[in-house]
Amino acid sequence: MNHVIVVDLGYGDAGKGSVVDWLCSASRGYRTVVRFNGGAQAAHNVIRDDGRQHTFAQFGSGTFTPGVRTWLSRFMLVDPLALAAEAAHLASLGVTGALDLVTVDKDALLTTPYHRAANRARELARGGARHGSCGLGIGETASYALAHPAEAPRAGDCLAPRTLERKLKALREHLTDELGPLGPLGGPPLADLCDAYLAFAGRVKLADGADLRRLLRSGRVVFEGAQGVLLDEWRGFHPYTTWSTTTFANAEELLAEAGQSAVRLGVTRCYQVRHGPGPFVTEDPSLELPERHNGRNAWQGEFRTGHLDLVALRYAVEVTGGVDGIALTHLDVAEQHPELRVCRSYLVGGEPLTRIEPGPPHDLDHQQRLTSVLLGARPVLHEPPASWAEVVEAEAGAPVTLLSAGPAAAAKTERAFTRTAAPRNNIAEPAMS
Amino acid sequence: MGSGIWSTDVYDAAARYRAATGASAFAYSDSGATKTHHDLDPLGVTRESRDSAEHPQSVAIAVLFDVTGSMRLVPRALQAKLPQLLGLLLRHGYAENPQILFGAIGDATCDRAPLQIGQFESDNRMDDDLGKIMLEGGGGGQKTESYELALYFMARHTAIDCHEKRGKRGYLFIIGDEMAYSRLKHDEVKGVIGDTLAQDFTTSSVVREVQRKWDTYYILPEGSSYVGDSEVLDFWRALLGQNVIELADLDAVCETIALTIGLGEAAIDLDEGLADLQDVGSAAGTAVSKALATIGATRGELVVTEPPADLSGPSGNVRL
Repeated sequence: MNHVIVVDLGYGDAGKGSVVDWLCSASRGYRTVVRFNGGAQAAHNVIRDDGRQHTFAQFGSGTFTPGVRTWLSRFMLVDPLALAAEAAHLASLGVTGALDLVTVDKDALLTTPYHRAANRARELARGGARHGSCGLGIGETASYALAHPAEAPRAGDCLAPRTLERKLKALREHLTDELGPLGPLGGPPLADLCDAYLAFAGRVKLADGADLRRLLRSGRVVFEGAQGVLLDEWRGFHPYTTWSTTTFANAEELLAEAGQSAVRLGVTRCYQVRHGPGPFVTEDPSLELPERHNGRNAWQGEFRTGHLDLVALRYAVEVTGGVDGIALTHLDVAEQHPELRVCRSYLVGGEPLTRIEPGPPHDLDHQQRLTSVLLGARPVLHEPPASWAEVVEAEAGAPVTLLSAGPAAAAKTERAFTRTAAPRNNIAEPAMS
Repeated sequence: MGSGIWSTDVYDAAARYRAATGASAFAYSDSGATKTHHDLDPLGVTRESRDSAEHPQSVAIAVLFDVTGSMRLVPRALQAKLPQLLGLLLRHGYAENPQILFGAIGDATCDRAPLQIGQFESDNRMDDDLGKIMLEGGGGGQKTESYELALYFMARHTAIDCHEKRGKRGYLFIIGDEMAYSRLKHDEVKGVIGDTLAQDFTTSSVVREVQRKWDTYYILPEGSSYVGDSEVLDFWRALLGQNVIELADLDAVCETIALTIGLGEAAIDLDEGLADLQDVGSAAGTAVSKALATIGATRGELVVTEPPADLSGPSGNVRL
């Protein structure tokens, strides 16, 4: 099966949604989107040729194409409340019955209003030193599950009312104790939350890993990543990271269990963006680029823009273990903004730096050192290239296989790559057809 | 991004999961309905907006939208958006006792539901009317729909206390992207509304009559077939003057209507209204400000015209 994994090579917002939408369009024939990291904090904007727009959070970004299903794997943090609201908005856009098209792995963790309340209380207490959290309780969900794996509420618990109630109660008590003076912990009454979750289980299909393995053997699947590699919990610039593995790893694990493989597609804009605080070497506040769906929000801070950072891009490609192809997006913006530059190297203490050195796996001290280096680094900027695709291809060591000059599928062009970049494995043709 | 734009309200979620079919707001239309829902049938009825103890100074508001094919996805978006209108008006104090009627306009020459008209409601029962609207998706493809039938209904088959008791006109918004037919045809009036007219009338005379009772606006939204079409815009400007609104962002439709009413009620000026939008974090400000620039800047007392000669006098209505 010719599956494909779509991962953002930056800090998120590169345009994964529109790439997934394009892959799922009728002519390309991917029928299922599997989500394999993050949760309801994802915000993948899709604008269709007919003008309909939706910000996909938990539904796969291919949902506009009739019949395309969403599979929320065990790596997802599922928020059943937000899922219902998202389905309602999809219905208002004419995508009816979206809830019939979603399947949730029983092992997927639930993000609850209690996680959310604790998250917000703690972020507020942190004041100016915020981490750029979305305020949706993702981190709380992940950390509680790490500490109490058996007690963390999971999607499958919604089928067992007594277990569900016990777990939610324990969670609420634990968070209340932890917050202490930062409390009281908000959130709805336990009984009402249980009621909503039971309704969720009565409506949405819950499945297990064996079902996903069958699915992967029977049809072509798009794995849709959330956030970006530079925010990865282990490979991002600690502590400005997310509680999730944002590389290909989770998707590869699911594929391996089914004896399957996939083409690895990295997505990057031809400039850099980032939400919230943390290293951003090529940031340029003087850039005024159009950004329709990303503004300031209270929990993540400012939306920041800067020039294409090839040093960071090479790092992202390297720590993911390589990509088979790159989707290069927002070329329409580059076209209209000749002030955009390219960064091939940094200056750190007057010395040039061309490579961000990956550390050993799971070494947060190393990642923190990288953060301090990057916070002191200055970009060396060059004139924009005649061909963005050729520059990215040469620097990233992977072919640019998809060009995107706008949100709609019509603005996407497949590209035959012109030079032999070293592919990661023996998949010779990264084209997605 | 990650602003968590989807509501996590626990009660909404439970209700949505329990909704029998998981159906959209367009349940009636999606159920395969082939004719106007009985509750919205304009044949032989008059819609009333009356004062009550609860709502002593009612203000009648009517929003009718074109549901033919040229509007593409606009009607669905409107059906989903318009439930917010009441809340907007009340929250901002733009109108104290609004009574809102929703309706839909098709094409009497070929559609199965040329006119659908709900009731004036002062609470969210108006949402039920929206849900009963059948989205026709037909129309004749000649840039004309039967707006004149709808205007005739509003002129002759509504009774509104704000006008009858206080001499204050109601607010009528027509959302569409095509022109009216040039004449109101007596046989269509007979068939759809039930009145017996001796002859056809010009659409402009119908407009003049409706304007006596209704401060009438035409909104042409983006996303429809004829957006920015100068022939369509010129047609409506000739009839309604400055009350023709080009709406760049359909998401802003409720805000645009609400602000127009707020301006009309002299509850706010345009700057205050836009500031309100900003306060509630609405992204609609730019679109609304553009759409309403003319109305906000030049709005004055509207001249109440005399009844046009060809429609004055006994109407010749025969109520069924």
